[in-house]
Amino acid sequence: MKTPELLAPAGDLEKLRIAFLYGADAVYLAGKKYGLRANANNFTLEELEEAVKYAHSILKKIYVTVNILFHEKELKGLEDYLKELDRINVDAIIVSDILVIKKAKELNLKLEVHISTQASILNGEAGLFYKKLGATRLVLAREASLEDIKTIKKATGLELECFIHGAMCTSFSGRCVLSNYCTGRDANRGGCAQICRWTFKDKEHQEIFSMTPKDLNLIQYIKNMMLAGVNSFKVEGRMRGIYYIATVILVYRRILDKIKAETLKEGEIRYFLDILNRCANRDSTSQFIEKLPGKDEQYFLGRQEVSNQDFLGIVLFYDIENEMVTIEQRNYFKVGDVVEFFGPLFETFTYKIEEIFDENGITIDIVNHPKTVVKLKMKRKLSPFDMMRIKVFDKQDYL
Amino acid sequence: MLVEEKTKINFLMVVTNEEMLEMKVKNINFLFPIVEYSVGFLKTFSLKEIHTPNSFVYINRILDTKSIQNLKKELKNINKNANILGICFTDLGILKLIEDECLSLQLIYMQNHNTTNATSINYYLEYVDSVLISTDITLEEINCILNKAKKPLVVPYFSLVDAMYSRRTLLTNYQENFHLELKNMSVLREEISNNDFLAIENEYGTVFYQKKFIDYRNITHKNILYRYVNPLGLEKSTLEKILMGEKHIESDTGFLFKETFYRLREDGK
Repeated sequence: MKTPELLAPAGDLEKLRIAFLYGADAVYLAGKKYGLRANANNFTLEELEEAVKYAHSILKKIYVTVNILFHEKELKGLEDYLKELDRINVDAIIVSDILVIKKAKELNLKLEVHISTQASILNGEAGLFYKKLGATRLVLAREASLEDIKTIKKATGLELECFIHGAMCTSFSGRCVLSNYCTGRDANRGGCAQICRWTFKDKEHQEIFSMTPKDLNLIQYIKNMMLAGVNSFKVEGRMRGIYYIATVILVYRRILDKIKAETLKEGEIRYFLDILNRCANRDSTSQFIEKLPGKDEQYFLGRQEVSNQDFLGIVLFYDIENEMVTIEQRNYFKVGDVVEFFGPLFETFTYKIEEIFDENGITIDIVNHPKTVVKLKMKRKLSPFDMMRIKVFDKQDYL
Repeated sequence: MLVEEKTKINFLMVVTNEEMLEMKVKNINFLFPIVEYSVGFLKTFSLKEIHTPNSFVYINRILDTKSIQNLKKELKNINKNANILGICFTDLGILKLIEDECLSLQLIYMQNHNTTNATSINYYLEYVDSVLISTDITLEEINCILNKAKKPLVVPYFSLVDAMYSRRTLLTNYQENFHLELKNMSVLREEISNNDFLAIENEYGTVFYQKKFIDYRNITHKNILYRYVNPLGLEKSTLEKILMGEKHIESDTGFLFKETFYRLREDGK
């Protein structure tokens, strides 16, 4: 069984580097125009070019979202933009509007065209429509079941990409303009105000409720999805921070590699699931993969989102000679804390903080200012961008 | 005077109750939401129940694998009903079914949110006979599209418009959570903007309509094939008055004169 691609979100160059470092095979991102996160930082053309060069230098791929639904005034500049993306060797564009697919073909671009989840593909016949237009990959609707995936694969033979982790729309993606009505912000051109996470009042019963879906998490279905023909496993979250990206991508990297090596144990899945749930700020479920989600897959009383301070610091430097690691603080920690380090090149390990040194080598007891740089004695060699977090789960308890 | 004598408008009207079929207004092609393949309606019909000539069937679901396979079987018999002139549909997979069965039907693509520019619409027109213009755009944009479209288009006339379509049974989920009597229709108010939405659910999903009808009756253009009407909730007598041009009906102009935006910082909003 060929190992599928692990596809990560990248909101900026730092997140892109973290995603690749922690095991992503490809990232998806947006330029300053035509993406559905119009108010995120996104990439300038120069940054895109830099991203592509970097990705290709380490044999990874870059996909650029061009997935808004175009109004007349957005059309000006589109052809030039597509040509530029092609010139800088972007691997693929992710599109929703038929005109972008057609334009890419008319312009004879070498980049691939992937059909966005905004197109809500749930059957093979719809997939064949896009195949005829020249698409090489379908990003299926998040509402696709395992059965749908198998059938679409068989019918189209195209590469299939599926979301496996992250936030969900209440609606079929692309089929909601609540934001347009409630705020004037066009959801399908990148302005979605996430109205489905706001509260509604039932005018008959006077009950107040939200329709917020819990997050998607398909960790337990990865193997079956591979067998069904999924070629790319996609993580949502271009607005998320580096800790989230690192944690989620590393977990799925390990899962995929262990499935390939046939070494994945049931207990490990439960351990990884707890790690994932801890780093998200909402509960997660498997949503549509096996059954229609019901009331247990939603929140009803506003945003029940809990943030934690698990992310303690990021490694800046390791001094082999003195066996000292330099860390930039992200959340409060102190002498006596039991923490753990994780990174792409080693198994997560536990560490008890016995001593903390400031930049001048003076011992301190607590680190409570953001971005403070401190040093810890460390016999194990670490690398820049390894991370330190609160230890909550012990893998041994799961095995 | 009947409306068609004055303006020669051809209506494409969703049948939301059987009483409507008795309306005195002429030039109406009725659009029947089909049981198992439509969402957002309280009344649906089987193909056998369509007895009015020149009717269209309405298949507005996004179809999963099992549903499209079932639909394929059902469409084999569609030409046996001579009253059926065409299909209005949302899921592009239906094109393959039509091709496979070599069906001779008028095809109208109705996905209200991705028909927002003339270039895209002209591409869709390579595969279908007409397309419903989106209600998410301005009057200026609509006119621009009508000027450029290669074939006559469908334009809303006086209609409810969908604001959201979810595969989830949102009303059932909410009512079960709060231990309320199960109902498949509710009016829900978004509390910050005070927008009311009419939510209708069946086992295939939930549709939120903007509660106010949109009134596009003033739009005129030679490149219009049909004027679309979803009269859900309107009584027959009111509907007749609307089609005959009565002005004093509570409604909204939607986004005709209210352009949406999406970049917060550049607009200073």
